[in-house]
Amino acid sequence: MRVGKIITAACIMLLAGLMLFGCGGEEQKPAETANKDASPIKVGGLIDLSGPTSSVGVPYAEGLKGGVKYINDNGGIDGRPLEFNLQDTAYNVQQGLSMYKKMVNTDKVVCIQGYGSAVTEALVRTLAKDKVPDMSASYSAHLTDPKTAPYNFFIAADYSTQARAAIKYFRDAWTEERAPKIAFIYPDHPYGLAPIAGARAYALELGFEVVGEANVSLKAIDATTELLPLKELAPDYCWIGGTTPSTSVILKSAKNIGMDTTFFVNIWGADENLAKLAGEDANGAYSNQAAAVYGQDVPGMKAIMEVTDNVPQMTHYTRGFVSVLVMAEGMKRALANGPLTGESLKTSLETLRDFDPMGLAPLISYFPDDHRPNMAVFLYIIKDGKLTFVKEQILERRADWLGH
Amino acid sequence: MQGKCGLFFTSYRGEAQIFPSGFQKTMVGLFLAALCLLPLTLGTHMISIMNLIFISVIGAVSLNLLTGVCGQISLGHGAFIGVGAYAAGQCSLHGVPFPLAILTGGLITAMVGMVFGVPSLRLKGIYLAIATLAAQLVLEYVFLHGGALTGGSNGLLLEPPKIFGFSFDTEMRMYFLLFTFAAASLIMVSNIMRSKYGRAFVSIRDFYLSAEIVGVNLFWYKLIAFGVSSFLAGVAGGLWGHYTGYISAEQFNIGLSISYLAMIIIGGLGSVIGSVFGAVFIVLLPEVLNMLANVLNAFIPDIAQYIVALREGVFGLVLILFLIFEPEGLAHRWRLVKAYWKLYPFAH
Repeated sequence: MRVGKIITAACIMLLAGLMLFGCGGEEQKPAETANKDASPIKVGGLIDLSGPTSSVGVPYAEGLKGGVKYINDNGGIDGRPLEFNLQDTAYNVQQGLSMYKKMVNTDKVVCIQGYGSAVTEALVRTLAKDKVPDMSASYSAHLTDPKTAPYNFFIAADYSTQARAAIKYFRDAWTEERAPKIAFIYPDHPYGLAPIAGARAYALELGFEVVGEANVSLKAIDATTELLPLKELAPDYCWIGGTTPSTSVILKSAKNIGMDTTFFVNIWGADENLAKLAGEDANGAYSNQAAAVYGQDVPGMKAIMEVTDNVPQMTHYTRGFVSVLVMAEGMKRALANGPLTGESLKTSLETLRDFDPMGLAPLISYFPDDHRPNMAVFLYIIKDGKLTFVKEQILERRADWLGH
Repeated sequence: MQGKCGLFFTSYRGEAQIFPSGFQKTMVGLFLAALCLLPLTLGTHMISIMNLIFISVIGAVSLNLLTGVCGQISLGHGAFIGVGAYAAGQCSLHGVPFPLAILTGGLITAMVGMVFGVPSLRLKGIYLAIATLAAQLVLEYVFLHGGALTGGSNGLLLEPPKIFGFSFDTEMRMYFLLFTFAAASLIMVSNIMRSKYGRAFVSIRDFYLSAEIVGVNLFWYKLIAFGVSSFLAGVAGGLWGHYTGYISAEQFNIGLSISYLAMIIIGGLGSVIGSVFGAVFIVLLPEVLNMLANVLNAFIPDIAQYIVALREGVFGLVLILFLIFEPEGLAHRWRLVKAYWKLYPFAH
């Protein structure tokens, strides 16, 4: 009976809390971000700090916070500091949607720093309706086409472009007479599937022989069964589109069965943790990245090292940092032309041409009809357990690739 | 029928009313009027939460009809909602008017649900749960590899609903649309529950052998339960797709199915009002945690991300506590509260 009373009391308190919440949820009048004053510029952060992708979401969010700190320490945007409201979406669409609505309608943020594909893609239409740009870390190619996703931006080349760039690099380096053979290993998941069609078509265009494909789940603990048929086909190159844990499983299984191929891994499949998970089996694998690794000799690394007190961070951190730098540049340009709103931020971002984020990422440009930030990828190879820079591979901005 | 003291009926029809007393009718009327006026006082964010609640109410009441009333466990409800979203979405994209698109989405989902409901004649309990889990996995695969039909990994983009040229493109407008659908769904399920179908469902749930002996055609009624439940799930899916404007395979995963099961367990199995309580509870739980985190954030910086990360843990804990201490859900607690006030001040 006592327990029943406790539950009743808890429900009443919950109800009372919700009523208070309801009262507090009253809409505020439009923010004062339009005025040229010292009021903070509000930015929302919708990141997966928990849930299946949190292992990379947390360092990415740290990078965003580091970027905000760097901007604020250096005078803010035209004298106005950034106020970053970071929230955890836990890879949950409903949760993300609800948080977004609060940020936009109640808190009046002018920009969202997003993250996972589930929430980012669920917001595409809403962003366009609300005229709020979302700079996310979901690099699916279809988000680069302003016709379908006018308010989506990101700072890395899309998954398809990254795969194509790596394929181009390997084709250029190929010296044998016969056609190089390529295979694709990916999870049966929107993220894994996104670049396959584009990458396959480009490989065929460049004269590769596409010999096979294999599905390896993001949660796999062994990939021997999937890789054995591929081994028989003897591909020279294998693209891996997974996350770091699934990539390590693939690399270890490939080593176990004696597979002799050159692996190259999508952006979320290789980071500083890969060598820790796969050990020596990771050596020789190529990684597609869109940002510098910690300590790399680029101008912006000094800023990151200062912000982080020389504590090494993962490459995802750098991308988060760059995302804020690009947003800040867009805000500066928007403020120079008038009031800062989501719409003016979008317009000013579309004026960026070869913006250099202090060497931390390839040069970034956005166009009103093309939101591909660049056509470049940083290729790294894992040597002695470390990501070692190989080359910045740049492709032409082909119109038929937009959105694919 | 447990009525107020002094409330007597002279006909079965009178006794079978959803709201038998004048007091109840007045209160429901006032409650509906309050819900109609509510968006005028709320901010856009709160209206959007109410919209999510309305969609969840439809999904929860549909699952409750199948699982709570008919006793057929389903772990594939999230996928059925997805079928409705894609089907209604495709209809809209092909120019079918919104109400028809939602209806078609519901009917297609009903057919899909009935196909997956066929094993229910032979399977019970955990076996049926696994069979419906298979439905979930199969449908997720179809969503992802459906080509032009589902948009594959790119998903489908939808326009806001339009009825006779009137576009429901704001939160406030969607509120009234979703409110109407939620209320209609609740009335529909309440009516089914007091019809011969509802009684057959309950008899199947309580003891299938007795039900069969008294002449209930198990296969037919189980199929009907799957069909009606899936129809409403399809409606919820269609509304969700048009509300968010974007459908992708990731939205209708096993997590959504579990979330709906949690709603009916917390709300109360076999109870219409319980479905509403459960939907409200599950939608608001993360909001309350966020609110708590934001309040604490003022005192302890960066605490927010840790508290909100506890969400999954809190979700599990709440479920366990309900199963231990309140297995009949919030609906039972609501009945106790009503009984308390009915007898007040003479509780014993």
